[in-house]
Amino acid sequence: MTGRAAVSEASGEALLEARDLVKDYGDFRALDGVSLSIDEGEFVSIIGPNGAGKSTLVNLLTGVLQPTAGAVRFKGRDIHGIGPVALARRGMARSFQLVHVFPDLTVQETLEAAVVSRLGRGARLFAALAADREVKDGALEIAELFRLGDKRQALSRQLPQGDKKLLDVASAFALRPEIILLDEPTSGVSTADKAAIMEILVGASRRIGLRAIIQVEHDMDIVFGYSDRIVALHQGKVLADATPSRLRADQDVVDTVIGRRRGNP
Amino acid sequence: MGGVFHAAVLFLVSAGLQVVFGVQKIFNLACGSFYALGAYAGVSAVAWFIGAGGPPALFVLPLSVAGLLCGLVGLAVERGLLRFVYERDETFQLLLTFAVVLMMEDAIRLTWGTAPRSTAGLYLVYGQARILGAAVPVYNLIVIAASLAIALGIGWLLQRTAFGRIIRASADNREMAEALGVDMRRVYARVFTLGTALGTLGGALVIPATAAMSEMGIELIVEAFAVVVIGGLGSMRGAFVGALVVGVLRAAAIAVYPELEMLLIYLIVIAVLLVRPRGLFGSAPA
Amino acid sequence: MTGARVLAVAALALLAAPPVLPTYYTLLLLPFMAYAVVLLGLNLLFAYAGLLSFGHALFIGLGAYTGAFLTTHTPVRALEVILLAAAVAGAAVAALVGALCVRYVKIYFGMLTLAFGMVFYTFLLKFYRLTGGDEGMRVLRPTLLGMDIGAMPKTDYLAGPYYYYSLAVLALATVVMWRVVRSPFGLCLRTVRDNPAKAEALGIGVTRNRWIAFVISGVYAAVGGALLGPPIGNVDPTLAYWTQSGNIVFMTLLGGFSHFFGPVVGAFAFIFLQDTVMSVVPYWRLIFGAILAAIVIFAPGGLMGLAARVRPIEASRS
Repeated sequence: MTGRAAVSEASGEALLEARDLVKDYGDFRALDGVSLSIDEGEFVSIIGPNGAGKSTLVNLLTGVLQPTAGAVRFKGRDIHGIGPVALARRGMARSFQLVHVFPDLTVQETLEAAVVSRLGRGARLFAALAADREVKDGALEIAELFRLGDKRQALSRQLPQGDKKLLDVASAFALRPEIILLDEPTSGVSTADKAAIMEILVGASRRIGLRAIIQVEHDMDIVFGYSDRIVALHQGKVLADATPSRLRADQDVVDTVIGRRRGNP
Repeated sequence: MGGVFHAAVLFLVSAGLQVVFGVQKIFNLACGSFYALGAYAGVSAVAWFIGAGGPPALFVLPLSVAGLLCGLVGLAVERGLLRFVYERDETFQLLLTFAVVLMMEDAIRLTWGTAPRSTAGLYLVYGQARILGAAVPVYNLIVIAASLAIALGIGWLLQRTAFGRIIRASADNREMAEALGVDMRRVYARVFTLGTALGTLGGALVIPATAAMSEMGIELIVEAFAVVVIGGLGSMRGAFVGALVVGVLRAAAIAVYPELEMLLIYLIVIAVLLVRPRGLFGSAPA
Repeated sequence: MTGARVLAVAALALLAAPPVLPTYYTLLLLPFMAYAVVLLGLNLLFAYAGLLSFGHALFIGLGAYTGAFLTTHTPVRALEVILLAAAVAGAAVAALVGALCVRYVKIYFGMLTLAFGMVFYTFLLKFYRLTGGDEGMRVLRPTLLGMDIGAMPKTDYLAGPYYYYSLAVLALATVVMWRVVRSPFGLCLRTVRDNPAKAEALGIGVTRNRWIAFVISGVYAAVGGALLGPPIGNVDPTLAYWTQSGNIVFMTLLGGFSHFFGPVVGAFAFIFLQDTVMSVVPYWRLIFGAILAAIVIFAPGGLMGLAARVRPIEASRS
């Protein structure tokens, strides 16, 4: 993403756009008028303390939840509440905060499932999967991009945590989406592994032609190190939406987000 | 009125089912079998009592005692079998209760044979009463009253006693209850025994009005199942209301259009599961 | 011995059974083959889709009664037509029932399928003008591949042509299921089993795949049910009772649901064990209940789990 020329859409419309999103859970207003737009070629990080509404925003952006008010548009089309399956078909993929793998499937099978889905072959009842070269090669390619090549026969439930995270992200990449939303891609992972995962991510996104990445992240080093733009949420509202350098200069935001207010060290 | 009597007995069995599901999250398919056990044991106890010279008017005593004592079978089942699968997938737990169903079916057959057993007209010793123009055996009224009393008793147990509090806490959040020092093994043993005892008591109490038959266990479970679906899994109030609904509806269906009988009940079950899976009072989401 | 060799030996043994074994045992293999077909379908739903149906006896009864109805109320006698009709009936009912049930999981799915199973049972029992009530319906001898073998004595017919016909149906059913399980659909089904949320995130439809699995399993159960009828000569409502649903789940667990051939092994073990036990003492349920309890507690992988030293990867439950 960084180092790639930003090419705006011909119509000027953003790739993914949220307009005045409001989400209420009963009396509790989780999001209060959040707007943001993601353009071609951007790597955007969403940050904010717990309870700021990040998960809600993520679920709204990925069509899992219906907004109480406002709209979410992906490639110019409304996507609110269309559900993850339809969204994946339209070109948006996501990974999860709590690692989601298929416990009893191998790495290879997990990636093959994603490729099968991408190629629309999920309804083939009598074709032999083992004979499908395209699926096998597609899975192999992603496995190698994510340095899981030699672990392809490993059972997902037996993988170390870091590899599970990688597999979760890798399978989302295997869909060759146009835009991907990563929910805390480095959480629960040791610091040494974090940098490795980010490097893999950036490399893989170049290879598969990803048009934009959105991530929710807590680790500020990662956020400031990789993002083109940072969106800071606070209590359901957008506190700031700027490049890393501009944001660093805004002490208020830094304080709120990193929680230095009220005398916290 | 027969419907209300049936509902009273059904409530007892369903209450047993509910308390086990509420706390242990296990759907005990064997509750019908315990019901059958209580019935057969009740017949034998009364026969022994009468044979030993006991006054017929007091036959309810050996009946009830036999019913309650059979609850200890539940303790044996829980300690001997069920406790090994608490950490497993609920499918295995369900299948284990099915194994108990199979074993008890033959165990009962072994002990009591296949011919139906009954206490014949013994229950008429209490006479009959006229209610709404129909002759109702006073015994039935006694059972209904007893069932109501037990319902209230369970309510009191759950709300007012320490054990009841523990039951409700464990049903709500097992991990937290354990963290607060509750010994789950003992709770589970007691809860399962209580659930079983309710079922066996129900079986014993129904005996005077019907005969103990070999199929009664596996037939009752589907009725009890209907009760807990309609009433809501894990809810006592649900067991009460559900039992009334099923008992009365079934009696009405038999009176009006015998072919319908359970068919109507099953269709209601399906409707409930599709429209409002948690039933009237349940809390578990689908 | 590798898996393929064991399979070959088993196939040869089944082929050689009628002339080699005493007729009694050959006839016992008939319900085994019928249940094996049923179980292939049930295991698709259980082991590969992760859904435990407690009402599959519905489809067994449906298939059995289809055969009975066709032979006694219509001029149809061809077993091919009967099996096809059973398959179509199974598919139609499974499509409807499945559409309602697959939106739910675990205990609610089990309860719904149980309820539907009992609805069908009650229908079979109560509407006696149509179904013959608790006495059931007769099944007249079907013709096989157009051959009129009405003159053959019953035992010769059953232990001969009918046996090989059933074996062919089982073989075909096995091959088809093998393909289904190893297809892209089979893989998608397993993702839905393992993690529905993640499957959806990968664009794999959860309800849709479960529904397809349900329909296939309904077809298999109906075909198996249709095969059960002719040897007994009569079908009755107990075929659709909930304990029958429990028994077939038992067979699955006995053989080991994690392995493709586990349920077939389970059907075999169940049928022969039941026969052996019953010849000694009528209390087979007591012993079988104990066996089921022992399997659940000590050997949840079933017989195949005990035999295989390497845990199969393709299907399992945590």
